[in-house]
Amino acid sequence: MSEAVQRKKTLPYIFMALGIVILIMPFFSGPYIQSIGRTVLTYMILAISWDMLIRSGQLSFGIAGFFGLGSYTAVLSAVNLSFGPFMSIIAAAVIAGAIAFLVGAVVLRLRGMYFAITTLALGELFKITIHNWHDFTGGPNGMLLPKLAFDGASIPTYAMMLVFALGIIALSEYFKKSKIHYALTAIRDNEIVAKSSGINIYKFLLIAFTITAAIQGAAGAGFAQLYGFVTPESSFNANYTLIPLAMALLGGMYSTWGPVIGAVVLGVLGEFLKLFIPYGHLVVYGIIIILVLLFMPQGIAGLVSKTLKKRGESYE
Amino acid sequence: MNNKKIYAGTGIGAAALLAVFFLYTNPTVLVYGVQRAGIYAAIALPMALVLGIVHIVNLAHGEMMMVAAYLSYFISKTFGLDPLLAAIPTGIIMFFLGILIFKTTISHTLNAPELNQLILTFGVAMVLSQTVNLMATSQPRKISLDYVSSSATFGNVSFGVYDFIFPALAIVFLLILMYFLKKTRLGKAASAVGQNPRGARIVGINVDLTYTVIFAIASAVIGIFGSFFITKFSIFPAVGGAYTMKSFALVAMAGIGKLPQIIIASLILGVAESFVMSIPGGAGWAPMIFFSLIIIVILSRSFRSKQ
Repeated sequence: MSEAVQRKKTLPYIFMALGIVILIMPFFSGPYIQSIGRTVLTYMILAISWDMLIRSGQLSFGIAGFFGLGSYTAVLSAVNLSFGPFMSIIAAAVIAGAIAFLVGAVVLRLRGMYFAITTLALGELFKITIHNWHDFTGGPNGMLLPKLAFDGASIPTYAMMLVFALGIIALSEYFKKSKIHYALTAIRDNEIVAKSSGINIYKFLLIAFTITAAIQGAAGAGFAQLYGFVTPESSFNANYTLIPLAMALLGGMYSTWGPVIGAVVLGVLGEFLKLFIPYGHLVVYGIIIILVLLFMPQGIAGLVSKTLKKRGESYE
Repeated sequence: MNNKKIYAGTGIGAAALLAVFFLYTNPTVLVYGVQRAGIYAAIALPMALVLGIVHIVNLAHGEMMMVAAYLSYFISKTFGLDPLLAAIPTGIIMFFLGILIFKTTISHTLNAPELNQLILTFGVAMVLSQTVNLMATSQPRKISLDYVSSSATFGNVSFGVYDFIFPALAIVFLLILMYFLKKTRLGKAASAVGQNPRGARIVGINVDLTYTVIFAIASAVIGIFGSFFITKFSIFPAVGGAYTMKSFALVAMAGIGKLPQIIIASLILGVAESFVMSIPGGAGWAPMIFFSLIIIVILSRSFRSKQ
């Protein structure tokens, strides 16, 4: 039995070491690897934020909406108010969070399919507004950022995204250990029971929705700072909803490490797939979503912890 | 019940008043509104059928329509058929494609949480649109037909006549589906399953078979609509996505399981949209009005159901 316990204690350290190696590696390689790293980290942030909301049982398809909103806020604040990169990211988080708060006050009364479709429609609403507001947002042509963060240098921008992602991982872990986690899990399991045991459902859902939207907005701002331009079609692309969702599902829902693992695996895999099928590599993401839901609803993280548990039992 | 009658009466009265107003001020708004409403109703009916009986929100709904339109495009190109004739083979192929999609994916999540079903059909939608993207590229395709651009003139107003085929199609769909549900053995069984799957199982109805058949019939209807769609619009892999949302909004507006109300809901949306488009500079904002309407309708419905 002691061997099993020891194994259980050492394995997380092995994973952690492996993770650190993967995260540090891009610093010592070329700009191509670093750009892949930045993309993976962006999707990782989105995947974690999506997972933070799904822990309460609310399925959001609005990731792309808040992502695009954040991108536009960053560029618009930089152009009109000459905000620096960090100020613009913070501004994007605040704006996305504030809009989510206002919208959430109404939308969070919906459940299940109604909530999912409404968030999808919200994203479209943001996109159409920006598409048509020619004088302020540049319309369908989009806008350019006057000055990139770190002048677009590869290593500092990777470091920036890395710090951002680590911050979100820490926040998500804090969420898992705090009172909010128990409240959200209770809402997911049985809303009526949660309500009757004195949980203010609405308050906790609103907190979760606002924070996750702020994260998605900040991620969009970070992305705008990396690439330096925004257009309605690229910034509100449905991929920003689809890919994080597939990543979180593959890695395993309801945990921090699931989306992290999923983002690394799918992000790197996706980059290779692009070489073989340049147009339509997304079909693989769709197939992964279907296969995971049908055969492995716990995801990779669930599978790993399950086999670990089994092994521990067999040693006992 | 009395309240309901009052609501219905005021609704019809307001609609009639609006219709007279539009006829007097701007008849094209009404004409185009009805034509749009036909498109929306025809595509929303199969979703209403699936949602009412199988209780699945099929997020791949619009993508299936897109696949059908592509099928019809290639059938009519290879065999030199008119797309309207190609509706028959397309409908048959879509019937079997529906069975395939249902049996391989959706039927396994019927007892799973709603969340899983939504994500699963989202994945199906992605696979369909990306497969078409891979095979046919994202280049828009269109069949140009002469009879599509025929027009008529009443007084000093002239408008396209062909588009009235969509309202006609919607009404034909509705009549066939209502006949099927009310008069045929299978249709009655399906209605029973829609009302209470467990009760239907207890009285000896094969629920799984009913689900499969209903999904397949809905797919066939989508297939026929796809063939009509290609006659008028150009198609590309992302063309279906918007119709999923529009259909869902209409079904939510009409109430789940109520097919005839779909026509009324589509009329409201169609006319409202064409009214906004008729305002100078409003064309770009038309979808905006549509999405706000979705949100308002879904919200007001959910509030009412809670009271």
